[in-house]
Amino acid sequence: MAAESKTKYDRQLRIWGEQGQAALEKASICLLNCGPTGSEALKNLVLGGIGSITVVDGSKVEAYDLGNNFMLDEESLGQSKAKCVCSFLKELNDAVKAKFVEESPDTLIETNPSFFAQFTLVIATQLLENSLLKLDKICRQANVILVVARSYGLTGLVRISLKEHNVIESKPDHFLDDLRLHNPWPELKQFAKTIDLSVTDPVVHKHTPYIVILVRLAEKWADAHDGCLPSTRQEKKEFKDLIKAHMLNLDEDNYKEAIEASFKVSTPRGISSHLCQIINDAAVQVDSTSPDFWVLVAALKVKSFLLLVFKVPPLISFVL
Amino acid sequence: MASWSQLEAIKTAKVLMVGAGGIGCELLKTLALSGFQDIHIIDMDTIEVSNLNRQFLFRQSHVGQSKAKVARDAVLKFRPHISITPHHANVKDPEFNVDFFKDFNVVLNGLDNLDARRHVNRLCLAAGVPLVESGTTGFLGQVTVHVKGKTECYECQPKPTPKTYPVCTITSTPSKFVHCIVWAKDLLFAKLFGDKNQENDLNVHPSAGTNSTNPTEDVFERRADEDPEQYGRKIYDHVFGYNIQVALANEETWKNRNKPRPVYVRDVLPDKLIQQNGSLEKNCVTEESAVSAMSSLGLKNPQDVWSLAENSRIFLEALRLFIEKRQKDFGNLAFDKDDQLAVEFVTAAANVRASSFGISLHSLFEAKGIAGNIVHAVATTNAVIAGLIVIEAIKVLQGDFQNYRMTYCLEHPSRKMLLMPVQPFEANKSCYVCSETPLLLEINTRTSKLRDFVEKIVKNKLGMNLPLIMHGSTLIFEAGDDLEEDVAANYALNLDKALAELPPPVTSGTVLTVEDLRQELSCNINIKHREEFDEEKEPDGMVLSGWVTPTEKDTRVVSNGESTSTAQLAEKSDEVETAPDRSGTKRKLSEMSEMMDNIHDTKPCSSLDIGDQLNPQEVEDNGDDDDIVVLDESPGPSKRKKLQ
Repeated sequence: MAAESKTKYDRQLRIWGEQGQAALEKASICLLNCGPTGSEALKNLVLGGIGSITVVDGSKVEAYDLGNNFMLDEESLGQSKAKCVCSFLKELNDAVKAKFVEESPDTLIETNPSFFAQFTLVIATQLLENSLLKLDKICRQANVILVVARSYGLTGLVRISLKEHNVIESKPDHFLDDLRLHNPWPELKQFAKTIDLSVTDPVVHKHTPYIVILVRLAEKWADAHDGCLPSTRQEKKEFKDLIKAHMLNLDEDNYKEAIEASFKVSTPRGISSHLCQIINDAAVQVDSTSPDFWVLVAALKVKSFLLLVFKVPPLISFVL
Repeated sequence: MASWSQLEAIKTAKVLMVGAGGIGCELLKTLALSGFQDIHIIDMDTIEVSNLNRQFLFRQSHVGQSKAKVARDAVLKFRPHISITPHHANVKDPEFNVDFFKDFNVVLNGLDNLDARRHVNRLCLAAGVPLVESGTTGFLGQVTVHVKGKTECYECQPKPTPKTYPVCTITSTPSKFVHCIVWAKDLLFAKLFGDKNQENDLNVHPSAGTNSTNPTEDVFERRADEDPEQYGRKIYDHVFGYNIQVALANEETWKNRNKPRPVYVRDVLPDKLIQQNGSLEKNCVTEESAVSAMSSLGLKNPQDVWSLAENSRIFLEALRLFIEKRQKDFGNLAFDKDDQLAVEFVTAAANVRASSFGISLHSLFEAKGIAGNIVHAVATTNAVIAGLIVIEAIKVLQGDFQNYRMTYCLEHPSRKMLLMPVQPFEANKSCYVCSETPLLLEINTRTSKLRDFVEKIVKNKLGMNLPLIMHGSTLIFEAGDDLEEDVAANYALNLDKALAELPPPVTSGTVLTVEDLRQELSCNINIKHREEFDEEKEPDGMVLSGWVTPTEKDTRVVSNGESTSTAQLAEKSDEVETAPDRSGTKRKLSEMSEMMDNIHDTKPCSSLDIGDQLNPQEVEDNGDDDDIVVLDESPGPSKRKKLQ
């Protein structure tokens, strides 16, 4: 990225980074009908450095357009609206490639559907339903994202239509703490057994690590409930009460931590059906054209168990 | 679109916009398109390249020109017959007094700093003019309505002032990268290139009190014939080597902390590379405008995290370039985030220091964001917020107070809503700005000087720009240039006195009246003497209370961050102030009050980071159809009432 554009885009680079910027600059957008809504949308994309725009609009600039669309002024009267909007946008950011097609979008949809295949995304404004239905079919077949927008006074709508959109979070916002409490491994169970929960010395009592408390009490619960762990709301509440009942006095931080983390005992075992659906999807038969997302899922499937990354949270009351 | 009465209200309205930047451009456009015909704009800034990704009324060719004027010209192009009056000036200037404000039907703020917002708030209260406030940061934004007598004023919920750090953290025991930046910017940079007469904590030694002729003072002075490169190495060794070594000698400090490692040039940059540095320089022809250590060293990417060696080279090269090309500015230079060489120098210095203290290094891009208080920003949020401002403004013009809303623009929908409207609250009865409640100040009246009180409390906390202070019927201080000599001299004497030594003495039980005539704000402060203050928790050495103190989660301001000018207010003698630093905590969408943590504080993101965004945990769809969100009261001392 050239130094000047780094300066110009500095503030937005701090939101979506270089990868986001690169994605913007690779994209090509088609706008159908450049009324106020469509023009405003393009203005935001162009300011951000979108790769290219193509404006399709068959109308000429009339008097009622003036004062309604800030890209048009008196000099634009009588000219192609698409042409005027394009030249305004070009001024806004000359790094963006801008083209216009002086043609009614309805006509284009009817007579030249293959036109749309070249774009990453189509923004359709001021179109009627039958045109939109046709356009949607065309876009889906060509794997082009469709965004439909309409606005009336103070109301409006935006609708997105696309087959599939996958995202790989290279830096997830947070890791789920998973203590494996619903299925403690043998060494943890053994360790937990060595600790006497009902020790009378108050100092030792308040230093029992909360994980041990949870492992032991979960086991106790399971013994009284046919091997099941708390799952309904009522049961989870009762489990919390069980923990509370073991407190010697109110300032025991370890028991408070245990109560706060008690829901972790209820984490369902195994993989959710939702995840199973993804893993068993046909797209997992990957080939060289598959997106990265499906390649990763395919790799996961090969493993016989899921590798979960978890972080062990600090324990307030842990004593080595 | 609008009803007949709305159209009338719009056509006849006289509107004041304060700020013609990110929000301002979108707002001016929307006002014009909505039919407003008489608009005034105040903005003191000029256009910069980094504005161009969102301030769409400006072009590359306008860089350097007045924002207010260029914005006006751009809008007149598509609405030639309306009246737009630009004021290329600071809203705090005396010409914008209460009478000026009284002329308008509504004031719309698009500011980027707390200080100006408070000032406008007070003037609007004094003039009885409704204020629509707003702010954006990245994808987050908000619009709030403030009408005297009907709703909270902007200051009813105190907004946190920029974060400050205890002096010792900056000078001796940094633990975060931002501490290193503050050190590099406000101490080292200031010491080398800024006002030589300013007090500077750079030479603070734990064993202060030795009365030698302080040979260290000479280290920073460069003799005219001293080779710039040699000088650079001397400074490097002094601040990163010697000073650390001296600090290490104080065992107490390091009992519970990791010890820093002194760093010397000879260890980091073996000799022959230094010589190479020299020959590299002779090959590069640097023009005045492209003075940059990065280019002369061939380090192209500001998003790279340089090694200790690379940072050290940048440090030395930047210092050398400052001496060779910018000598004439020495003594006057203030850090400016748009000064490439300054940013390089501060980045490198902060990184070397960070390396010493085991703190992770950062790229220039990140460091610049921290040092320059840069707020991330994008066009779309500003467009949304501008639209909301106009909607509220129209309600205000019609006096439609049942429908006033505070609206919060989120990044991810909460309960399926991206825009959350909230009913405004009634005014806070203990707000010192709009309700004239007295405040309480705990202070050591025997050791704190009047000057400290004026700077830290009156100007900083209370936001008064031209204060006067009365003790009973005696004026003990007045700010201003137009005072008579003997009067001014008297105040100068007072400033240096401890409170208890003033004529008449200010002690426990005294009530001081503090006023700013321009803001028409008057405030009573009850003084209470206290001996000791916690250095870490109360670095100011005085505590002001009496109105609602925000809980950590209670602050709901989203603003455009501080401009560098306010960040440089830090010439307080025993404190170093810096950019607010974003806490980086994730928030649950279900908790409204947490959502709007003060994002006034920012942390720039690295190239792969998507930044400190609201955590999109599972969005609960509980099928609520509410279109108004009733704020859950956060556990605070006040019971705020909704508007009836």
